Amino acid sequence: MPTVKLQVDGREVVVEKGTNLIEAGKKAGIFVPSFCYHPGLPVVGVCRICLCEIEGRPKLVAGCATPVEEGMKVITQSAKVREARKAVMEFLLIHHPLDCPMCDKGGECTLQDYTMMMGPASTRFTFEKQTWPEEDVGGKLILNKNRCILCLRCVNLCKTVAGKDEIAVLSRGEETYIGTVGGRMIENEMAGNIADICPVGALTSKDFRFRARPWEMKPVKSVCTLCSKGCNTQVWYHPRRNEVVRITARDNMDVNQWWICDRGRGQFRGIHHPDRLLQPTRRQGDSIGPTTWHQAIPAIADSLRSIVERHGASAVGVVASGELTNEECFLARSIFRDGLGIPNVDVVERPQPPVVYPKFTIEGDKNPNTKGARVIGLAPGPKGLGVKDMIRAAAEGSIRAMVFLRGGPLDLFGDAQAVARALGRLECLIVIDILPSPVSERAHWVLPGVSFAEREGTYTNSQGRVQRAPKVFSLRGDTREDWRILADLGRALGVWTHVDSGPEQIFQRLALANPAFAGLDYKAIGDLGAPLAAASADVAVG
Amino acid sequence: MDNGRVLTATTGLPSSHTLEVYRKHGGYEALAIALAKTPDEIIDVVKRSGLRGRGGAGFPTGTKWGFVPKSTDKPKYMCVNADESEPGAFKDRLLLAKDPHQVIEGTLIGAFAIGARRAYIYIRGEFAHEANVVQAAIDEARAAGLVGKNILKSGYDCDVVVYLGAGAYICGEETALIESIEGQRGEPRLKPPFPAVVGLFGCPTVVNNVETLACVPHIVKRGWEWFAGIGPDRNTGPKLYGLSGHINRPGVYEAPMGISLRTLIDEYGGGVPGGRPVKGVIPGGASCPVLRGDEIDIAMDFDTLTRAGSLFGTGTPVIMDDTTCMVRAAWITARFFAHESCGQCTPCREGCGWMQRILWKIETGRGEERDLDVLLSVTDQIEGNTICALGDAAAWPTRGFAKKFRDEFLQHIREKRCPLGGGSLH
Repeated sequence: MPTVKLQVDGREVVVEKGTNLIEAGKKAGIFVPSFCYHPGLPVVGVCRICLCEIEGRPKLVAGCATPVEEGMKVITQSAKVREARKAVMEFLLIHHPLDCPMCDKGGECTLQDYTMMMGPASTRFTFEKQTWPEEDVGGKLILNKNRCILCLRCVNLCKTVAGKDEIAVLSRGEETYIGTVGGRMIENEMAGNIADICPVGALTSKDFRFRARPWEMKPVKSVCTLCSKGCNTQVWYHPRRNEVVRITARDNMDVNQWWICDRGRGQFRGIHHPDRLLQPTRRQGDSIGPTTWHQAIPAIADSLRSIVERHGASAVGVVASGELTNEECFLARSIFRDGLGIPNVDVVERPQPPVVYPKFTIEGDKNPNTKGARVIGLAPGPKGLGVKDMIRAAAEGSIRAMVFLRGGPLDLFGDAQAVARALGRLECLIVIDILPSPVSERAHWVLPGVSFAEREGTYTNSQGRVQRAPKVFSLRGDTREDWRILADLGRALGVWTHVDSGPEQIFQRLALANPAFAGLDYKAIGDLGAPLAAASADVAVG
Repeated sequence: MDNGRVLTATTGLPSSHTLEVYRKHGGYEALAIALAKTPDEIIDVVKRSGLRGRGGAGFPTGTKWGFVPKSTDKPKYMCVNADESEPGAFKDRLLLAKDPHQVIEGTLIGAFAIGARRAYIYIRGEFAHEANVVQAAIDEARAAGLVGKNILKSGYDCDVVVYLGAGAYICGEETALIESIEGQRGEPRLKPPFPAVVGLFGCPTVVNNVETLACVPHIVKRGWEWFAGIGPDRNTGPKLYGLSGHINRPGVYEAPMGISLRTLIDEYGGGVPGGRPVKGVIPGGASCPVLRGDEIDIAMDFDTLTRAGSLFGTGTPVIMDDTTCMVRAAWITARFFAHESCGQCTPCREGCGWMQRILWKIETGRGEERDLDVLLSVTDQIEGNTICALGDAAAWPTRGFAKKFRDEFLQHIREKRCPLGGGSLH
C-alpha cells in the first residue's frame, strides 16, 4: 500500500494513500470532530463539523471527504476552523429541543459532547422551533426527529450494510426529515446498529431506552454466542441492579467490522429469562425436588460409574453442545471420552438458514462453538454413536444413561416421540442447562449452568478464530459455571485430578494437548481473538 | 438574416423552431464543419473564442471540455442544463422555445468534441411547452439524419434525450442534475471528483448551459477570432440579457458582453415605468448581490461585476424602482433559497431558514438592531462551508441587501413597520 506523508497541525504523520483527514488526524493524535462520517459507511460529507483548513487553499474542506496528499499541511486549530465548527454547532442546535435530561442518548451523545466541547452556550435563534411527533419506525427503534441532525448514518447503514431502502431522506430544505416510506416499518435485522451509530438521540432502542444511563453501566468486552460468527460485543452491566441491560457492537475488523445483528443485541433477554434454572433438582419417581450440589455431584458420579461398571462405557451417551466454551469442551472430552472411555459423544447442531446481507451474514449454525467442539474432539469415538443413534440405542435399552450438556426441544435430537420414549427408558438422565426444556423435564438430575455472561471462557468461531468472553456477573441463585460443574464431576468420577483456578488454566492444558490450539496463549488472545493454528483448524481431532 | 443578432437572429420569425426555418438560415452547417474536424480542433477553437459558461459561473467552456479524459473505456456524456429556474432568469427558455435546433446543434458539436455518444437535455419540469418543442425538434433532426446513427454520414453517432426535472432549483447545480438524471434525490455531490472525470453513471460528463451551447455553432462557423472580438477582454461573445421587474419593456435582449447596465435598462428596456428612479438592480438572477441605483453605470460582464462585489450570474437584471421595499426583496430572495435548499448539509439547510425568519421579522416591524448583526453573521457562517454553491448563493444576496440598504433595514427596526407599507404576506 503506497503511503503519503503529511502534517496535521505541524505533526508529521505517514498514512496510507486514500486516507481522509479525520483518520490522518487520528493517527497524528489530532482530534477532528465528526457526526456523519463513519468508517464503515459511505462518506456523505453533509454535517460539515469536520471542516479543516489546508495551507494554501482558500476554502475550508470537509475532513471526511478530503483524501491526504503528499506534503499537505492540514490545520485544524485555526480561528477560521474554530469559527466554522462553532457555526455548524449553532446551526445544528437551532431547532434542537435541548432536552438532554429526558433524552435517552444523554451521556453518550456526540451532539451533547461536542456542545460541551465547542458549542455556543446560548442560542441567538429566537424563533419558534420546528417540532415533530415521536414515532415507531419498526426495527425496535423509536424515531424522534426533533433531535435528528440528518447525518444520514441510519439511511446509509440500512442501504449499504443491509441492502434495504427501509428508511430514507424525505422532503427538502429545513423540512428535510428521516422517515420510513409508505408506512412500511424497518424489518432488516441490522437496524439495531442504528441506535449505536446515531450520533444524537433521534433513533433510540426500544429495548434499552429509559432503562439506564450510560454512566450507571459497566461496559465489558465480550463475544456474542447466538451463532458461529462470534461477533464482538460490548455487554453493558448495571451493577446496582445486577443486570445486563444492553448489548452493543464492538469493532473487530476480522469478524463483524462495526456491526452486530438484532438477535445478538437482544441476547440480554436470555440471560435474565424469568424461567432460568437456579437450583439443582432431582427427580425420584414422579416427584421432582430441589437438591444441593454437595449431594448431586457425588450421586451423579456414583450412578454413571455404576452403569459403566455394570454395562460398559458404551451404555452411556453424551450429547455435548456447541454452546460450551473451548475449555468446557476440553473438560467434557477429557472426562467422558478419555476418562470414562465413553465412545458415544456427539455435538448436536442447530442449523437454520443463514441471513445474508450485502455486508453482513448472520450464520446458520446457531452455536457459537461448533468449530471448537469438533476440533477438540467432541465426536463419536471408535464404534461410538452419533446423537440419533444414541437415541435409538436408548430406545432399545443398550444405552442406559445419557448426559446432555445442553437440553432443547425433543425434535432437536430426532423424532420427538421417539426421543420422548428413549429418554423415558433411561436409568439415568443428567442435564446441564440454563433454561428448562422437554429434555430437562424428563431428567433425573438437572444441574443449573450459566449463560455466557456469567462464566469465563473462549469460543472458536466458524472461521477458526478463538475469542475470549469474560465473566461479567453472577446471577443470584445456586447456579454454577459449566466448567466448574464438569471439573467437579470429573473429580468425583476420579478421571480429572486437576484443581484449576479457572478457564485460563484449563485453556493452557488444552493448548498443550491439542495441536490446533498449540501456541495460543490465553492472555495473548486479547480482546480481538486469535486464529487457530491454520493447518489443523479444519481437522477434527478424534 | 442580418439584424445584427447572433443567438436570436431568427427567434422572431414564424415557425422559428422548425428544422426548415433553422436550415434556411444556415442551420446545421456548423455541425457539418465540426464533424469534418477532430474533437481536439473543436475544443481548441472554443478555448480560443474565450466562451465562458452562460449558466452563471462563467467557467471557460473549452477548458471544461478539455478536462474529459481522452483515454478511458467508459462512455462519456454531454448534459445540457436547461433547468433555468433562478428568479429573474428566463433567457434559456427563449432559446428552447424559439430556436431549439440551435441548442441541439451546439449540443451535438459539444458531444462530438468530448467524445460523447449520448446527450441529455435536462429541462426544468415547469417548462412543459419548451420540452415538447425540444422533443419535436429532436425528432425532426433524427428524421433528417442529424441526430442518432451516422450523423450527416460522418460515422459519428449521438443520441439526444430530453429529461424533465421534477421541480427543484438545486437540480440546476451540475452534480445534482446528474443525480436527478440517475433517478436519485436532487442533491449535489461532493467534489472532487468533478463530473468531467466521474459524472453521469460514474462516467466522464460535461454539463453545459443552454445558451453556452447555442454559442458553439456560431464559433465553429465564424471562427474564434470573430467571437473573441465581441465584448471586453476575457468576457467575449454575444449574450442574452433578460430584463424584468420595474421596466417598461421586460424581455430577453441580445447584446454584446460588457454592455452597460444603464444602457440595457434605458435603451433596451425603455426605462422604468413612470420615469421613477432605479432604487436597486439584481444584475444576474436572485443569487447576485444587489446594486444600488447609483451603481448601474457598470459593464455587464463576469469580471467587472465580480470586482464590484456582485456577480454577473446569468445576465438577467431585475430592476426595482423606489417603491420597492428592500427588506421585502431580501426576504423574498431568502425565502426562495430556503425553499430550494436541498437540505443535505447543515449550514445551508439551517442557515437559509434562519435568514428568512429574521428578514420577515424585520419586514413586519418586529426586528431589533441585533437581528441585523445576527443576520450578517449567519451569512458569514453559511458562505464557503457548504457542499455546493447554493449556500453561497443564498448568503450573498442577503448580505448584499443588508449592507447596501442598511439604512432601510434600520428604519424598519426603528419605526417598527415597513416604511413602504409592506409587512403583510401579499
